Amino acid sequence: MQQIINFDNSATSFPKPRSVAAAVNTAVTRYGGNPGRSGHRLSMEAAAEIYRVRESAAKMFGAQTENLAFTPNCTFALNMAIKGIMQYGGHIIISDHEHNAVSRPVYALSVGRGIEYSIAEVTDDTEETVQNFEQLIRADTKCICVTAASNVTGKILPYKELAALCRRRGICFIGDCAQAAGVMDVTLKDGFNFICTSGHKSLYGPTGTGLLITDGEYALSTIIEGGTGATSSQLAQTPYLPEKLESGTINTVGIIGLGEGLRFVREKTQKRIMAHEQQLCRQFTEGIKGVRDVRIYRGGGEYAPIVAFNLGDRHSESVAAQLSDMGFALRGGLQCAALMHNSLGTLGQGVVRFSPSAFNSRQQVSALISAVQSIA
Amino acid sequence: MEKTLIAMTSITYAMKAKNLLNGMGMYCEIERTPRNIGTGCGYSIRVKGEPDKALGILDANKIPHKKAYVI
Repeated sequence: MQQIINFDNSATSFPKPRSVAAAVNTAVTRYGGNPGRSGHRLSMEAAAEIYRVRESAAKMFGAQTENLAFTPNCTFALNMAIKGIMQYGGHIIISDHEHNAVSRPVYALSVGRGIEYSIAEVTDDTEETVQNFEQLIRADTKCICVTAASNVTGKILPYKELAALCRRRGICFIGDCAQAAGVMDVTLKDGFNFICTSGHKSLYGPTGTGLLITDGEYALSTIIEGGTGATSSQLAQTPYLPEKLESGTINTVGIIGLGEGLRFVREKTQKRIMAHEQQLCRQFTEGIKGVRDVRIYRGGGEYAPIVAFNLGDRHSESVAAQLSDMGFALRGGLQCAALMHNSLGTLGQGVVRFSPSAFNSRQQVSALISAVQSIA
Repeated sequence: MEKTLIAMTSITYAMKAKNLLNGMGMYCEIERTPRNIGTGCGYSIRVKGEPDKALGILDANKIPHKKAYVI
């Protein structure tokens, strides 16, 4: 069978570090207890491992250990943060670069709960972008929620400036850091009240892992309640983080695997991983820019290591399918980001997305460039 | 033999308290909160020595806890 080279790491990174696979195996064979549920050794040993990973992840994002909740993925974390803040109505502002993990919960709240929302335009000019947000702020605006970096083009939004705006205006600031965490040094010090991220992308954990991190300034209403292993005699959900946000048995196996993913990133350093992936993106864009009718979706400003492109008017899914037949995994279509494609004018065609990881090499990118040239 | 238990609000805070106190040379362990003093399914830290000192450290570090019990 032909080996496939993965350039679809923005969906989920693959391969994972060997240490992650080993940790998952250890978790399945050794840490079989339900953490935080019992006093027997199996439960306590699993709880100690979970705490160790929680501590490590919290340190990476500049959070108190208890202010980091494990979630099944970034979408869950975003739903919990957005719906938890907007529970009692009000107005929320999002950007026109958002993933459906932001736009859909906001839309659902507008339909079901009567909240109102506005969409701010992101331009290449930071000051203009911040102004676009500020002009939309109303007396009842409770929250601004934006992606730190677009999952379609990699465009980095001025999240630090938007955080400062939120501080000035007393508004909660939620960040979708799914594409940023692990390659960009996003932390609560940047001004986020909530950081939502996946654990299985640039943090190299297994699928089924995500993080919801808070600075503790805003208390979240819960959207899921249940067993937490704490204050069990009471009908009301425990008020204490992180258990308040972790009802039901958590993904012990995935979280222990994520712990090794975090270690991998920490040891390689985000800076070096980012530099490596940016170099691959430069190589790729340089390599395909002369291809007939190619369009690369990059403008001014800074970009996370993602390159979106199209070949003429050909549908992105058919280009991605051809590349798949040649042994390369790239994602075509809309990348679950309708708002962003609406902004790009690519709702019909979609884009082909190139997203490398720490494991990709220059040789692999050279091979992909040749493949793109051959099908153009 | 008597032992002093400080009932904690969650397993996470119990872990945090244990690491903090052990790091300061106050040996402690985590165990289940006995049913007669807890509100169900909780964890406590069992401390050696003066419980007031341990409670003071937890308060100074903003680690929420319930009462201390000698049982």
